[in-house]
Amino acid sequence: MTDATVSLPRPVPQGGSLFTLDGRVKRRNAAEARFRAYGMTAIVLALMALVWLLYSIFAAGLPAFQQTFVTMPVMLDPAVLDKNGNRDPADLAKVTTVGYSKVLAASFVAAAEAAGVDTGDLKPKDIAGLLSEESAATLRTQVLADPALIGQTIEFTALAGGRIDGYYKGRVTMASAKVDSNVKPEQLVLADALKAKGMLVQSFNAGFLTMPDASDKRPEAAGLGVAIVGSFYMMIVVLVLSLPIGVAASIYLEEFAPKNRLTDIIEVNIANLAAVPSIVFGILGLAVFINFGGLPQSAPIVGGLVLTLITLPRIIIPTRAALNAVPPSIRDAALGVGASKLQSVFHQVLPLAMPGILTGTIIGLAQALGETAPLLLIGMVAFVRDFPGALPGGLFDPAAALPVQIYNWTQRGDPGFVERASGAIIVLLGFLLIMNAVAIFLRRKFERRW
Amino acid sequence: MDDMRLADSAVKAAETKIAARKVQVFYGDSHAIKDVDIDIADRTVTAFIGPSGCGKSTFLRCLNRMNDTIPACRVEGDILLDGEDIYDKRVDPVQLRARVGMVFQKPNPFPKSIYENVAYGPKIHGLARNKAELDEIVESSLRRAALWNEAKDRLSAPGTGLSGGQQQRLCIARAIATSPEVLLMDEPCSALDPIATAQVEELIDELRAQFSVVIVTHSMQQAARVSQRTAFFHLGNLVEYGETGQIFTNPRDPRTESYITGRIG
Repeated sequence: MTDATVSLPRPVPQGGSLFTLDGRVKRRNAAEARFRAYGMTAIVLALMALVWLLYSIFAAGLPAFQQTFVTMPVMLDPAVLDKNGNRDPADLAKVTTVGYSKVLAASFVAAAEAAGVDTGDLKPKDIAGLLSEESAATLRTQVLADPALIGQTIEFTALAGGRIDGYYKGRVTMASAKVDSNVKPEQLVLADALKAKGMLVQSFNAGFLTMPDASDKRPEAAGLGVAIVGSFYMMIVVLVLSLPIGVAASIYLEEFAPKNRLTDIIEVNIANLAAVPSIVFGILGLAVFINFGGLPQSAPIVGGLVLTLITLPRIIIPTRAALNAVPPSIRDAALGVGASKLQSVFHQVLPLAMPGILTGTIIGLAQALGETAPLLLIGMVAFVRDFPGALPGGLFDPAAALPVQIYNWTQRGDPGFVERASGAIIVLLGFLLIMNAVAIFLRRKFERRW
Repeated sequence: MDDMRLADSAVKAAETKIAARKVQVFYGDSHAIKDVDIDIADRTVTAFIGPSGCGKSTFLRCLNRMNDTIPACRVEGDILLDGEDIYDKRVDPVQLRARVGMVFQKPNPFPKSIYENVAYGPKIHGLARNKAELDEIVESSLRRAALWNEAKDRLSAPGTGLSGGQQQRLCIARAIATSPEVLLMDEPCSALDPIATAQVEELIDELRAQFSVVIVTHSMQQAARVSQRTAFFHLGNLVEYGETGQIFTNPRDPRTESYITGRIG
């Protein structure tokens, strides 16, 4: 070391001063700034697209969770509903919804008059037209379940018709009602009057999540019940089949399989399978499970099997990546203390790979939940009003699925179904959000550092 | 070389624990170990030294068949542990590794608690009949690895939360918990600071009382400090093997002399 107290002469900078940037550095900095700007632009564009997408879905779909109801006392007239007066279930069942709609219409007109609402020059038929056709069916179901109600006056909450509901959601206006054969402006005036008296209310529409699909004429009664149950059943099939098969296949391929030409081919083909369009799997499912295997159409079991085929490569690829990411030193350590290969994998490697495996599985399931095309081919697009039975028999009953229900509703003519479809998208997104949240939670919970 | 503390070179006439005869190792087409003959004595620290890539780690990994996990690796010749060929068809490497433990270059504790790390080996080999026995094995292993005092209050803390030197001592505790007869150490101190290195070296010297220890090291000082016997490997050949004092003070082979005086390496 030289003596530090000697003051050094200020050296002349050889390559120019550090305080001035040379051209090369300037160009490099400019390139970096440009790249950052591109990145920011891309992210801003993506966020704007996302916000726009969510806004349009929520704006169109949130009204589906609100529904217009009419509450009134209904006199269940025995003269109409039980002509023989013996309350025999067989005779009661002979009375169709036509009979019930008469009872409902009479009670509704009476209730409107009792409330002092000016019905103008509307005919009783038009007044009753405010109610959904579904109401009579609901009333019939309620009465058949409890015949003792006949002869009594019960408080009944009826669905308002689709146009009346649309009026309060802005779909129907006085101007549009003039040219609409389904609704008269006078009916809308009456609806306003009933609303003022508190007979007609808008409230949360639980039926949207619990009721089955409804026919083209009555969007107000359409619900996601069957679709949610069908999707749930399919997800159970997918989870039960694809998680063990996918994880076992990944462990075998990653940890045990010899590295040779055959395993190389298998590896390439798993990657290829993940890229095969899902509709191709639908055709496969139709040919193999329905035509050859003889399984019923529209059944969650077939949907689940097809989705399992689609999901398997999507689970195997991230699972193998997760296993591959476990440091080899952990395997060495386990082998070094005398663990067998199987023990080293199951005791040490698998717990470390767990967060990745679970995340991959749940993302795979979430993708399967949103898969539409293959389900169209195996008949899940059918109109199904009956709920499938309890598990496991219900797997063989016809059912709908959430994404197919959305597709189905967008095909319908009544504008009420557009709102329903958007509402169903919100439900589907909600489920996907929950699944992703679970994936993140599990990853955090199992994550360990080494 | 004069700052080197040469270990006590008086080696007792110990029995041979591992005898290797004409061992060849191939990685695919490359011939990594050529014709190695060596007798490793019981209750002795044997050091393998040599320049990088000379095959000393490869040979070490042959002694507990860790090379089996490398598909391209092929071993020929005989390696006898107490007179039994460990590459015999009837030998299960799992059983062998319970008797020939290993400590790796980089501390690699399992991402589990300190207790679980040490208890894992005894558990899978069924060495403890109940929890009390297991506790005893864990405690004695940690004591012998000189980690008990630091770890006894945090046995349920993750092993990965320890410092590097503590982690390596934990790995040693894990290796000796299965009561092996031979302990292989592959550059156990290369990732450690000098203080931790000194602790591990001291530990190795104590372990000599119970085990035959084979240590691969890049540090000639370390070989001189801890070992009683030293083997010098060069380009896959065992060049010279003898008492540590003799190797470092009076090497017979010119290549050994070049290496320890720093001319090749």
